[in-house]
Amino acid sequence: MRKTLPVDDLARDERFVRVPFQARMSDPRQAGSGANRAAGRLTPDRPEAPDAARALMHGIFVGEIQALEGAGRTCWDFDTGAGRDQAPFELKLDMARQCWDEARHCEISVKLSDWMGTEIGEFSENTFLYEAACNPDPVLRLTGVNRALEGLAIDVFTTMREFGQVAGDPVLEYCEDWMLADEVTHVKMGSDWLRRLTATDPERQKQALEFQQVVDKLFSVGGFRGDDEESPVRLARRFRELAGFSVDEIDEIAEVSRQALEEAKAARARLAARTA
Amino acid sequence: MADPSKPRPAFAPWDRRELPGAFGVEESARRVGNYKWIEMRLFEALGGWVATVPELDVKLRLGTHCYHHAWHAELWHKRLPELREMNPDRLTRPPNEALVAFVDAMTEPEAPELTIEKLVGVYRVLIPHTIAAYTYHLNNTSTITDAPTIRSLRFALQDELDDWRDGEMLLQSLIETEDEVDRAAAHQTRLEKLMLAAGGIAGPGSIGTTPVASEVTA
Repeated sequence: MRKTLPVDDLARDERFVRVPFQARMSDPRQAGSGANRAAGRLTPDRPEAPDAARALMHGIFVGEIQALEGAGRTCWDFDTGAGRDQAPFELKLDMARQCWDEARHCEISVKLSDWMGTEIGEFSENTFLYEAACNPDPVLRLTGVNRALEGLAIDVFTTMREFGQVAGDPVLEYCEDWMLADEVTHVKMGSDWLRRLTATDPERQKQALEFQQVVDKLFSVGGFRGDDEESPVRLARRFRELAGFSVDEIDEIAEVSRQALEEAKAARARLAARTA
Repeated sequence: MADPSKPRPAFAPWDRRELPGAFGVEESARRVGNYKWIEMRLFEALGGWVATVPELDVKLRLGTHCYHHAWHAELWHKRLPELREMNPDRLTRPPNEALVAFVDAMTEPEAPELTIEKLVGVYRVLIPHTIAAYTYHLNNTSTITDAPTIRSLRFALQDELDDWRDGEMLLQSLIETEDEVDRAAAHQTRLEKLMLAAGGIAGPGSIGTTPVASEVTA
């Protein structure tokens, strides 16, 4: 088996439909894109809420599969050791633990998808999460995946848990709460390993944080996630702090999201003007 | 009421644990180092394969089992310093080059249509041999002096047996044609020969040696 499996070789059965990142984000059925994004926070009283929640659930499911695959590849791709292109034994143990957690999240997501009335393949899959997990530096992998993408998962699960509370859906609320607990652990793993492995290497730490910023910015597209009421997914500040984010770091993500929201509004205004 | 001044033996009447056991400290440490090495190779491989198998149920079981074997590796890693091996990496090694060849062959399949071969290597060859070696250690080491190893062996064996059953059932559900039976058998035969050359996961003597007739009668 090769080291570092290219994203195109990710194995899926025939139900899955893979599309490029850009195409998925511009798919009007996706929560946080198009009309849904403009409508603000995902709440049960909105007419398109059930479909948006199902789409978000499907997105969570495929994200969990890729998080499982990414953590598994980190166990395999690196020799054990302290070198820059190696992974310490304890880091691999953490990634193996994450494999188990993500496998459970996949199981939960499949059950929840049934419960919410959607099925595998109803919505598309983009593979950006796995792509972030292909970085040749294990620290950048953990920063991009565990801090940026699993950080986003904290925000998404918090939003979905609130959605379940407001909608009176105890099953959704229960499942999201359990997954949220695991995600806080995973983000904390990322924060801890970032600090541990770059304690004496500020350049590597800078690169890792820049990589995280790139990933965060991509997933803030259109202000999908942020502090604003208009953002479909709320930045879960308290849980991010538990997971090792400083207040400054959270503020920075909020600012990136706010900028993304403003850019999206301006783009929509330009489009409306051209159409008129 | 019990008399607090009445002497009682150190061993309760039903406690038949005895000394000595078959392994000294060094032999137990050597085996534990071999166990850690093979559990590491196993959890790494299972983690790597997750992305290469298209069958969703198999993908999720591999992710779960990946952690089980990582945890076993951690148990053995923590046991080594207790067996006077303060540098656990020194004994974290295969018993011989033949076992390295076995692991190389077991981890060779990558293509998405080779799920049967991946599962056969783990669940029909490696894990049965691991169960055998752990059981031999459990049954022959001193239940008094090597009790911490025994506790870890029992935890590990519980996982190994559960995972073995999981993997075997996955295989039975995947094998649907005579050709697939042949494929599974051919791969198992190839890997069993390599494991035979290694003598087991802890080398020759992994599950003891068969005594000669004179020793049996003596």
